[in-house]
Amino acid sequence: MSASQSAVRSRAEAVKVSRTFDWLILFVLFFVVLGGYHIHYMLTGGDWDFWTDWKDRRLWVTVAPIVSITFPAAVQAVLWWRYRLPFGAVVCILGLLLGEWINRYLNFWGWTYFPVNFCFPSNLMPGAIVLDVVLMLSGSMTVTAVIGGMAWGLLFYPGNWPVIAPLHVPVEYNGMMMTLADLQGYHYVRTGTPEYIRMVEKGTLRTFGKDVAPVSAFFSAFVSILIYFLWHFFGKWFGGTSFTQSA
Amino acid sequence: MKLIKDKVAKLSFVALLVTVTAAMFYAPTASAHGEKSQAAFMRMRTIHWFDLNWSKDTVPVNDTMTISGKFHVFAGWPETVDKPEISFLNIGIPGPVFIRQGSWIGGQLVPRSVSLELGETYEFKVLLKARRPGDWHVHTMMNVKGGGPIIGPGKWVTVTGTMGSFVNPVTTLLGDTINLETYNLSNTYFWHAFWYALGLAWLGYWARKPIFVPRHIAVEAGKADSLITATDKKVAMGFAIGTIAVVAFGMSSTNAAYPVTTPLQAGLLRGMKPIEMPAKTVNVKVEDATYRVPGRAMQMTLTITNNGDSSVRLGEFNTAGVRFLDPKVHVDETGYPDDLLAEEGLTVSDNSPIAPGTSRTVQVTASDAAWEVYRLADLIYDPDSRFAGLLFFFDEAGNRQMIMVDAPLIPSFI
Repeated sequence: MSASQSAVRSRAEAVKVSRTFDWLILFVLFFVVLGGYHIHYMLTGGDWDFWTDWKDRRLWVTVAPIVSITFPAAVQAVLWWRYRLPFGAVVCILGLLLGEWINRYLNFWGWTYFPVNFCFPSNLMPGAIVLDVVLMLSGSMTVTAVIGGMAWGLLFYPGNWPVIAPLHVPVEYNGMMMTLADLQGYHYVRTGTPEYIRMVEKGTLRTFGKDVAPVSAFFSAFVSILIYFLWHFFGKWFGGTSFTQSA
Repeated sequence: MKLIKDKVAKLSFVALLVTVTAAMFYAPTASAHGEKSQAAFMRMRTIHWFDLNWSKDTVPVNDTMTISGKFHVFAGWPETVDKPEISFLNIGIPGPVFIRQGSWIGGQLVPRSVSLELGETYEFKVLLKARRPGDWHVHTMMNVKGGGPIIGPGKWVTVTGTMGSFVNPVTTLLGDTINLETYNLSNTYFWHAFWYALGLAWLGYWARKPIFVPRHIAVEAGKADSLITATDKKVAMGFAIGTIAVVAFGMSSTNAAYPVTTPLQAGLLRGMKPIEMPAKTVNVKVEDATYRVPGRAMQMTLTITNNGDSSVRLGEFNTAGVRFLDPKVHVDETGYPDDLLAEEGLTVSDNSPIAPGTSRTVQVTASDAAWEVYRLADLIYDPDSRFAGLLFFFDEAGNRQMIMVDAPLIPSFI
């Protein structure tokens, strides 16, 4: 067989090779995204995602969506513009959550004995599904950034509330009021994470009374729009071939 | 080629065997907390822990023990470390092998960060509940913002029993008693599994059709729009509407199930109550201080003036948690960790009682292997070669008086 001849000899064979190629690429994509996105999110979201006593209504709501819309935007750019595939955000979140759960279960619980109900990851899936759907229906980066990015930020807090709310039930402890999440942070000793490192309930957002979560979510959504544009361009550039030498 | 491949495979196998064997024969347990590697001046010139007591050496799972004592916040706090204006009374243990059920400074619960005053002495107590069996080195510890963790003396405590039997009951303000160890776990698993399954379903919908090669060919051929069908759009709408509906339902049902929730609690606790120390009747002036490297001994020339009405003797020098005692004056009966206790480590050139109203200049030597073992001798390599510590004087009635000393230290290498 010469180099110019095809490796496949029939349409059936071509389809089979194509499907094998699909699964290989999807497998590699999944784990590359898992590794890269996981490191990125741990470095930027870090403790806000690790511990329940960091998951507040102000900074967690603001920071987590902003730093997590990055990889979904970039992977969407590659998969949509090159393949018209609208699952970039979801595949990122599937990878991230799998990596996080392995980390939390084996490392946080298995090695250092922190209970899973104290160190589970944030849920980013609702925003990811909507982000993918908006891209698919609009076919527009701008519309996806504005509508999808907005949804990404706004859906984060309500999407996590069913898991977080039970930990915000108040408790009286030796004459002080805390939430159960605060108590988890106090009970389960972290020698390297003193209380003052906790960045919660800080800021000057005081004019909205107790309803700061929606305001924080809107702010987060607005910044998520901007970050989406930036990382979508990163993805487009990274997914291109202009920087490789032609044969 | 085959020969090279075989050789690489054989060498890889040998390397794997060597690695596994080495790990089997030598896999030591990391059992301490790096306290010896912390800069000596950090341990000698910041927080001075004393009168420490670990209430138990062995604790069954679910049983409690306390660590109590006092700490003095050194007035000559080093310039290179931020002042303890935001600090946290912590405990140095390898993860939550105990849970911290309570911690108090001056009788006040301190679950949050506190502000400490230089030159003051505070009483503290930490209540621990045993959670995981094993032998654990339990340290006192103060985290200081901008300074890092300042670890104090540690003692080995054995936890017996099984972790599976550990429970952590807490009663909420709504009257429900829950086990914080497992509370909300099934709810967490449920919601995460649900959303993960929905994400997989979305991915599965697209992955059931050819993904990369044919679609790429179509996009390159300008037929990208044909790749999204009307059914795809309907399915996508279904996913989006379903997602928003589930989020809305989850939010409202959660609010109905947990009508009372409060924000996380945070904030700095100020006004910690220090111990009111009795007026000092002993005055100490450090004339000079040297550390003799070969002899592992620190020598001080002190001029001691007794302004009280009872004669006094020097019984103890305490620095960085290492206690040097003159056994003729003071013997430890608290079960203080052996490695931190030099029971005969303090020698005074003339330690006869100093009568009221008199002064005496004496040579004081604090010698013990602990200088090297605890790497306190590394002080001579610090940027600010000064030492500090607590001197304890005892009068005829056995009353104790604490005096802080702080002076430059000159190393002697011969």
